Amino acid sequence: MAVYVYSITASTHPRRLDGVDGVGDPPASLRTVKAGELSAIVSDAPEELRAKRRDLAAHQAVQERLMADGTVLPLQFGFTADDDDAVRGVLEERAEEFTERLQALADCVEYHLKAAQDEDALLRQILAESEEARGLNEQITGGRGGPDLPLALGELVAQEVQARQDRLAASLLDALQGLAREDVVSQPTGNDFLNVSFLVEHDQEESFRTAEKDLADKLGGDFDLRLRGPLPPYSFV
Amino acid sequence: MTVVPQGQEAIARGGGASSGNLYDILDLILDRGLVIDVFARVSLVGIELVKVDARVVVASVDTYLRFAEACNRLDLEAGNKKPQELTDLVGEVTEGGSHGKAKGALTGAAEAVTDALKGKRGDEEADEEAEEEAEEEETAGQRKRPARRAAQHRKE
Repeated sequence: MAVYVYSITASTHPRRLDGVDGVGDPPASLRTVKAGELSAIVSDAPEELRAKRRDLAAHQAVQERLMADGTVLPLQFGFTADDDDAVRGVLEERAEEFTERLQALADCVEYHLKAAQDEDALLRQILAESEEARGLNEQITGGRGGPDLPLALGELVAQEVQARQDRLAASLLDALQGLAREDVVSQPTGNDFLNVSFLVEHDQEESFRTAEKDLADKLGGDFDLRLRGPLPPYSFV
Repeated sequence: MTVVPQGQEAIARGGGASSGNLYDILDLILDRGLVIDVFARVSLVGIELVKVDARVVVASVDTYLRFAEACNRLDLEAGNKKPQELTDLVGEVTEGGSHGKAKGALTGAAEAVTDALKGKRGDEEADEEAEEEAEEEETAGQRKRPARRAAQHRKE
């Protein structure tokens, strides 16, 4: 039977998993596949596994439970092996690499930050500060000018939005990078202008969270900073 | 923008990750983490849609028109921020826009704005809805989510 693999830990990790369910409906029971110094947390794989929210939550819940007791290498969602032996084979084959990562990530957790800004507030600011944008806008709403004006206004505003958000993203990064050991920036999606993961040492966590909170307070209600963590180090394995 | 909160309770009970938090880390769970390429991976055909939304600020005619429309609306409303009244105004803009030459684009822009406003009013449910889409591959509402995501506020 196919085996769903959640994460890899050192065999010394207590792997207390009572009360935590695996993926699938009904949820599969969790168990350990051990190979020397390393262990993988697995369950039987459901027949038809898809990326359902319930299963994503289960995958994440297993990581959260494990990280409470030690370092964990979380797998990406959705990996299955043919059987326990195949899992054991990978643990043996890549033992050195996994051990190295576990050591490197000891005492660290991931924090993930996404940031967005209320669009109306930003547009108001741009109209207030850019004479050109304001002029175009007044012409359009006053019914004057040609059909090209909306496009010109939109292009100008889009450039302003981009420039302002890039500056904001850079200043947020700048304020938090010093408190993290590493960071990984990725392309923001939707309305967000920032999408970044930080690897934070345990004894820096409090300072990091305080710094983020201060930033959020300083930016005010027009901003939406979503800090998630502590998380297993998905971005740093 | 149909809201079908199926299965929410099961999720809330099911995992350590609260569903509100899960949405913001979907990209980590799906895209980061250890990859073991000799293992098989489940198909993520549906879910790819969720995480590859383009950023709202992209250089395109649609984006420009949407921004222009939003600026015009700000000017009209003159600082009045009541969502109900905003929605009424947008209704008018939609009507006006539909008569113009650039019918398709203008209508689209107004719809985007309307969605943003609706999303704002429904922000209690925004997280839930967005996640629901993660598991409903067939949903037609995928494209509207970026606007809706703006509605998520800090909830600590």
